[in-house]
Amino acid sequence: MNIKGSPWKAGSLLLLLVSNLLLCQSVAPLPICPGGAARCQVTLRDLFDRAVVLSHYIHNLSSEMFSEFDKRYTHGRGFITKAINSCHTSSLATPEDKEQAQQINQKDFLSLIVSILRSWNEPLYHLVTEVRGMQEAPEAILSKAVEIEEQTKRLLEGMELIVSQVHPETKENEIYPVWSGLSSLQMADEESRLSAYYNLLHCLRRDSHKIDNYLKLLKCRIIHNNNC
Amino acid sequence: MKENVASATVFTLLLFLNTCLLNGQLPPGKPEIFKCRSPNKETFTCWWKPGTDGGLPTNYSLTYHREGETLMHECPDYITGGPNSCHFGKQYTSMWRTYIMMVNATNQMGSSFSDELYVDVTYIVQPDPPLELAVEVKQPEDRKPYLWIKWSPPTLIDLKTGWFTLLYEIRLKPEKAAEWEIHFAGQQTEFKILSLHPGQKYLVQVRCKPDHGYWSAWSPATFIQIPSDFTMNDTTVWISVAVLSAVICLIIVWAVALKGYSMVTCIFPPVPGPKIKGFDAHLLEKGKSEELLSALGCQDFPPTSDYEDLLVEYLEVDDSEDQHLMSVHSKEHPSQGMKPTYLDPDTDSGRGSCDSPSLLSEKCEEPQTNPSTFYDPEVIEKPENPETTHTWDPQCISMEGKIPYFHAGGSKCSTWPLPQPSQHNPRSSYHNITDVCELAVGPAGAPATLLDEAGKDALKSSQTIKSGEEGKATQQREVESFHSETDQDTPWLLPQEKTPFGSAKPLDYVEIHKVNKDGALSLLPKQRENSGQPKKPGTPENNKEQAKVSGVMDNNILVLVSDPHAKNMACFEESAKEGPPSLEQNQAEKALANFPATPSKCRLQLGGLDYLDPACFTHSFH
Repeated sequence: MNIKGSPWKAGSLLLLLVSNLLLCQSVAPLPICPGGAARCQVTLRDLFDRAVVLSHYIHNLSSEMFSEFDKRYTHGRGFITKAINSCHTSSLATPEDKEQAQQINQKDFLSLIVSILRSWNEPLYHLVTEVRGMQEAPEAILSKAVEIEEQTKRLLEGMELIVSQVHPETKENEIYPVWSGLSSLQMADEESRLSAYYNLLHCLRRDSHKIDNYLKLLKCRIIHNNNC
Repeated sequence: MKENVASATVFTLLLFLNTCLLNGQLPPGKPEIFKCRSPNKETFTCWWKPGTDGGLPTNYSLTYHREGETLMHECPDYITGGPNSCHFGKQYTSMWRTYIMMVNATNQMGSSFSDELYVDVTYIVQPDPPLELAVEVKQPEDRKPYLWIKWSPPTLIDLKTGWFTLLYEIRLKPEKAAEWEIHFAGQQTEFKILSLHPGQKYLVQVRCKPDHGYWSAWSPATFIQIPSDFTMNDTTVWISVAVLSAVICLIIVWAVALKGYSMVTCIFPPVPGPKIKGFDAHLLEKGKSEELLSALGCQDFPPTSDYEDLLVEYLEVDDSEDQHLMSVHSKEHPSQGMKPTYLDPDTDSGRGSCDSPSLLSEKCEEPQTNPSTFYDPEVIEKPENPETTHTWDPQCISMEGKIPYFHAGGSKCSTWPLPQPSQHNPRSSYHNITDVCELAVGPAGAPATLLDEAGKDALKSSQTIKSGEEGKATQQREVESFHSETDQDTPWLLPQEKTPFGSAKPLDYVEIHKVNKDGALSLLPKQRENSGQPKKPGTPENNKEQAKVSGVMDNNILVLVSDPHAKNMACFEESAKEGPPSLEQNQAEKALANFPATPSKCRLQLGGLDYLDPACFTHSFH
């Protein structure tokens, strides 16, 4: 280091310093968890564990609720035949086997899950309201409906957190299938009304299983790198 | 016509039916799809039950269509699943979609269709049993032995991508046991069993289930022989510890039961209560202070009598040695004679009634200094005494001579009217008397005697002072030794007016006329005509209560001197009887007669100066 080079070196250092400061000011704050950071995966792991627990729980409740309803009101009466193509979420292009699920990308997958969850907010709300308003409201079914509604909201919040961590740049996509079966639930004809409830509970059981399976897939994919 | 056609048709059908029945061929019965299962959510298989075949070979075909489609499909695989089955491969299997399928049975005679079955693969998942069940007995050195069970998931199930989730359960039992021991293992593929019966042969099985679905069948049983040394060391150790502790507890309980009290007192020593001799707690509870204080020996505390009642019969001051001795004897006789009951050799001479250590210990330090200080002024003040006698109250006659030496020391100071003005007011009237004498008597010239009796130490001290032959050290030793012995005497500490017992001054007897409220003693010269010479050397006939004031110390202490030679109790008693009658003596006897009324707290002691309890003193004047 001779004396002659020192002013050049000092000047370059100063230039770098100033440029860094300027750049730092313009850079937006880093996201909490850029994809793949080890630190985030720990937090993400907890989020996914929690989400999987919730989705598993919700499907168990839905399955029990359907079984109780069918056993009490509609068993052996062929209501299943009318439940074909009755789910409002069938318009969503959801993967139906493992290969399709593995082909869909992570971001779309998450968006899909969130859409399904969002689309069930309103049906669940009306389900609780209508069952509560029945003359002889079945307590077991009503309690499960209430619990499912509550847990679905929590699951949706968790999913939004996961999305914000994994794909923070995702725009809020509020498009989701709309349920329009409220009028069917309020029909005077008992057969029609029972059919409407049957369809609703049947679709709920299916979609909750779908969400549960998708989340377990994503958990193994994102957290454990397909090595569960 | 029509009837003929109808009957012909019926005839033909019946003929056909007969022909068929004779042949034994019928269209097939209605088949039934009874079971569909998916082992991995990627494929599934359905089985049907054929109906009657009608005696002809029957073909079965399964056709299906899926929810949201209209196209009918036929079963892709009739073989993989076995007979009467349809296997759907991966490309034909879709989750979350209803399959509507039915089986068509066809034979030569006809065909029949089964009912439609609505199947969703989501709800027909049942895996195969786990594979490679391995069981092993492991006995590590430092730890307890255990049974190590390990298995692997069934094939064709994708766990890595998370498409499928498996939960396991194992069961085991000894070979000849009736019930199984079931353990849920979660998602792990290994398990430890710790509680086993040694020396037995165990059966182990495992099964699994998806997160939402049916349990698999149990795996084939694996046998394992548990070695005989598969011991549970902990239990034996704990059992022995428990037995030992139980034995120890029993021993402790037995010991406590036998020696309960002594042990309790050893552990929890009783709290010593306050020791005040004569203190009766019951009286305190009753709230009668008079009784309580009387029990303590403080007669009339606070005294309720007027001052005038506290009249001393007379005060005799003997100047000469003989007179001094006589005075001592006379002093002692009445007390001794009148109160033979008080000649109690008990060391608890009653002086301690008011002089218990608890009451007196606090205030004994100051007076203790008196002896040391007393001795010096005693020598110094002797020549001064005759001079200071002039300071007497006109009503008081200065008495010269030997004054019984009372040592206000030891531990009895507080009950004594200490030469401190601050203590006197709340006390009894005898304090006032002392005040009287203090005021009346000059700093070194108080010949008036206050006390009827004096303690032994005072006697000794006066003796030593009087003789003067003994060294002061001996005096002190006697005094101190006496104090150490009894520790109950607080005789007056009075300065000596003159050289002890050596002077030849005549006896002057002074009669206390009355005691003023101010504490002044009004003294009158005593009438000697009737009594004569009450004091005779060696004659123990004088039963008067007498003490000689030898001087005044510190302006407020009377030094009294009495006869140190009188020691014979019997003589005193005789003298009490033979005492010359006189007004004074009678009065003294009366005064003394009152003493028996006092409790034994007012004790007299042989040998000269006795300690006069002020309570007794005050009581005598009622």
